[in-house]
Amino acid sequence: MIDDSLLMPALQGVHLSRSFGQGEMKTTVLHDVSIELYSGQITLLMGPSGSGKSTLLAILSGLLRPDGGKVMALGNDLWALSDQERERFRLRHCGFIFQGYNLFNALTARQQLEMVVRWGEGASARDARRRADDILGLLGLSKKAHLRPAELSGGEKQRVAIGRALIKDPNFCFADEPTSALDWSSGQQVIELLRSAAHDRGATVLVVAHDARIIEHVDRVVDMEDGRLRQHEERETFLHNAVARQQSV
Amino acid sequence: MASYSLTTLFHERQRYVPGVLAVAFSALLIALQCGLLLGLFSITSIPIDHTKADVWMGAPAVLSVDLGRPIPESTLARMGVQPEVERCEIYLQGFAFWSKPEGGSELCMVIGSRLSPDSLGKIDKLTAEQCGMLAEEGTVIIDESDVKRLGVKGVGSTAEISGHPVRVVSLTRGLPSLAGPYVLCSIPTAKKRLPVQQGQTTTYVLGKCRNPQDAPTVVQRLNSYKDVSAFTTGDFSRRTQLHWLLKTKAGIALGYAAALGLLVGAVVTSQTLYAATVASMREYAVLRALGIPRWRIAWMVVSQSFWIGIIGIALALPAAFGLAWTLNRTMGVAMVSLPWWLQSAAAAVTLVMALLSGLYALRSLRQIEPAMLLR
Repeated sequence: MIDDSLLMPALQGVHLSRSFGQGEMKTTVLHDVSIELYSGQITLLMGPSGSGKSTLLAILSGLLRPDGGKVMALGNDLWALSDQERERFRLRHCGFIFQGYNLFNALTARQQLEMVVRWGEGASARDARRRADDILGLLGLSKKAHLRPAELSGGEKQRVAIGRALIKDPNFCFADEPTSALDWSSGQQVIELLRSAAHDRGATVLVVAHDARIIEHVDRVVDMEDGRLRQHEERETFLHNAVARQQSV
Repeated sequence: MASYSLTTLFHERQRYVPGVLAVAFSALLIALQCGLLLGLFSITSIPIDHTKADVWMGAPAVLSVDLGRPIPESTLARMGVQPEVERCEIYLQGFAFWSKPEGGSELCMVIGSRLSPDSLGKIDKLTAEQCGMLAEEGTVIIDESDVKRLGVKGVGSTAEISGHPVRVVSLTRGLPSLAGPYVLCSIPTAKKRLPVQQGQTTTYVLGKCRNPQDAPTVVQRLNSYKDVSAFTTGDFSRRTQLHWLLKTKAGIALGYAAALGLLVGAVVTSQTLYAATVASMREYAVLRALGIPRWRIAWMVVSQSFWIGIIGIALALPAAFGLAWTLNRTMGVAMVSLPWWLQSAAAAVTLVMALLSGLYALRSLRQIEPAMLLR
């Protein structure tokens, strides 16, 4: 018996469009884009700079309002919600990882995580600490919980940032260029952690990146160019086609 | 919440030092300016605060102790018949010209009182021996800080007050003056040298109650007479200080200086918090993306302003004490007075200033948008 919910997209963008600027300066960065993302899957959104990847991620995650189209997330029309309702939706369901680690210099790795659940959910100090330590343990940072960002390597800092996104146990995890500031070894670890968030925790993970080495670690690849989805393939198909394209050149 | 604020303040202390120092500067300035004002104007009420009377009765609507006008000596009986009053006596005080031996004159404040040990009007700094010396007509005692101002060499010097000779027989210590040096003497000596006090008149009638708590009742009864006005010691002291405060406008000048200190403190604190928030904007933007409400971040900023206020005050008050102590010791008199209520008020005003600065710094939060994190 197959669970029907697994066949339904957890996140769905329908006919999304978005422009910036006005008049002659108006630039359309998304043209009628539709996309479906499923829970338990890690999807890579690829494409050259300026192709609209980050804009699409921002719209799908409730950070940037589209000019047209809608985003359905867990049965909610995300952009039909009020600002406060959307904020609550993000609080309850979304985790974010950005290229810069954006960690508070003064706080320890543990405090960076605790802060999210204490401020977001009103968790008690004890509960927040337990949950932060659990996540840091999963990320292999148990021995570094007391350290501040200045005492951590780039990879460790990004792992703390992932911990901050995962401590809420979110349904969605959005990562914008999470590996671009890291060496490949650290980048690989980061992607594996995101992959495990999808596979082990059932999260819907969307990663925006332009590093082709990540392809091997994801379930699906979506290719973007000039504000349009060019490809929408399972990883194996994408790899096959990429090799074919390379051979034909 | 407090722990994140304090942790941030501690680890990024270099960033917050200007704010803390600005708050400390404001608190110090307010405490010292007000303390100085208080100390300065407490000088004007020395004749009230350093004597034993519970009730002062003088001319109608008298504004301050040094501005007393003559009232008939017969009013002494009105005080004497009050059942709560144990004893009463006359007291003379007024401005007169002191002619210096070497020429020139100086306005002085002549105080003539009974000199017996139980006297109500005798300044408590006078010893029994000094009181004995003043029994001789024409003898006076001045404060050692006024010797130069009155143009004399010290004990044994002679001068004139209102054309009548006086001889300095002793000196007091710690009896500062504001408008004119205090010249302490007996009632006969004062009467002869205060031109307005000729005939059967006095400046004040002082009363001592069996129970000091009855003073307001006595005052109320005496005030039913239209040709006198009466006050309890505390009321007359405050009235005198307030009159000087308003008359000289010194309060306004010091008030402006304190307000300026507050303004500087507020601007620096606000800018410090604004800059600190802007510097952490990307971190706050992540929290906003994660759905943390804006008010939580605002609370963090206001909480930081609270702790900046507390730390600034904690630095300022001991410094104010130290400076006041040094000044008072150097001058030999209590120039600066820092009672507990003044410290509390200075701390409260400064803390409110710090909190308002924090609220003003919240405008930086408007710039925080999660979408700014996407490239």
